[in-house]
Amino acid sequence: MDTPLREPTFLILTALAGEPLHGYGLIREVAALSEGRVSLRPGTLYGALDRLVDAGLVEVDREEVVDGRLRRYYRLSPAGSTTLAAETERLRRNVEAATARLRGRSGTARSLAPRTAGGLA
Amino acid sequence: MSDLERRYLRLLRAYPAGYRRARGAEIVGTYLDLADPDRRWPSLADAADLLRGGLRQRLRAAGAADLLPGVRLAAVLAFLTATSLAAAWSVLELRPPADLSLPTARPFVSLGIGAWIAWLLAAVGYALAPGRWTRRAVALALLLTLGLVPAAPLVGLPRPPLFVLLPQIALGLVALGLPDALPAPLRAAPPVAVGVVALAGTNLHLLSPQRFAGSYYISTAVPVLPVAAVALLAVALLLAAGFAVRTDHRGVWAALILLTPIGLLALQPLAGVVDGVGTTVAVWSELAATAVVIGVLGPALLPLALALRRPTRSPRPTSR
Repeated sequence: MDTPLREPTFLILTALAGEPLHGYGLIREVAALSEGRVSLRPGTLYGALDRLVDAGLVEVDREEVVDGRLRRYYRLSPAGSTTLAAETERLRRNVEAATARLRGRSGTARSLAPRTAGGLA
Repeated sequence: MSDLERRYLRLLRAYPAGYRRARGAEIVGTYLDLADPDRRWPSLADAADLLRGGLRQRLRAAGAADLLPGVRLAAVLAFLTATSLAAAWSVLELRPPADLSLPTARPFVSLGIGAWIAWLLAAVGYALAPGRWTRRAVALALLLTLGLVPAAPLVGLPRPPLFVLLPQIALGLVALGLPDALPAPLRAAPPVAVGVVALAGTNLHLLSPQRFAGSYYISTAVPVLPVAAVALLAVALLLAAGFAVRTDHRGVWAALILLTPIGLLALQPLAGVVDGVGTTVAVWSELAATAVVIGVLGPALLPLALALRRPTRSPRPTSR
């Protein structure tokens, strides 16, 4: 699987990092994790799950029949866990770099502001 | 079984039979879990999602999972080419011949300016909001380009020649597959290309009014299309090779899809080769015959390639 992961893929892996989930549960969990921004539809979800299973990042955990409906639960595989950890680390470093730059920028802006005001005065 | 479930099962026929048997109950069950209790018909978005998923699964089963990314890549390249050409033709349109007795759509060379402006606006829309609205803008530009053919005789004004309109229409059809989300540099590429061409129009050596004005038939305007064909072919082949290194065949599919517009861009030299007189400007009948051959053979390449391609893996549904 290519990295960096696309956001829906990252969120699916993150959702499965907690506990095994079936399709409906995964859709709800991804929506909750993204605060409603990413809303997966079943056709899209199962296409993504097929790719993740083929890549060895996700495995089928178990099957249940609830109210006459088949529910297949998926779990993160050890390879999926490693990929998610590596991707999270990459994103964390990016966030840290961006935060440091922004902090430096706001510090510069604060230190420049009085000088500018003084210069004009 | 409820009406809603029956209708979802009917839509599920978009998927290959084997996949449907293995995963159908699970997929439909998820749709039913998500549906409101009083819903009787699948929503349009659900229907589109099922059809899209089915198409993706069928391509996967045919060993052509890279085709859809290839369509999107081809669309980006086609759109970049179409908007760059529209910019070049806009420069030409702004410079009608000085001879007042020649038929023109003054203050422009022809009616083509309307279509070219629509393409330029689509380029701006693409940079600001790629996705559904850009595809609509491309569809509008495409319709305006097509509409030039019946409109010109109706209003008695000239239009760009068919050897200019045909490749633009082919590029526009491919560009309808533009993706929803793209990195900013790719979104900026068409407006930047338009700006570069517009700047070239002000350059006295590149596209000066003396060399690039008055008519689509002048010696500086005619080679624009074959040059675009060579550039597009080169970029498509380079991308195909680059992606193939990563065992990603989207570039190959993109090149295959782009062969029709590339062929139509190179219509003049190809028709010249057909008549055996080298690259001299071909006569109308040769251009028409060559365009028909390209228009038939080019689009047939894709289904042919799909038919010839052996599946790299069986349409294996997810299993334990």
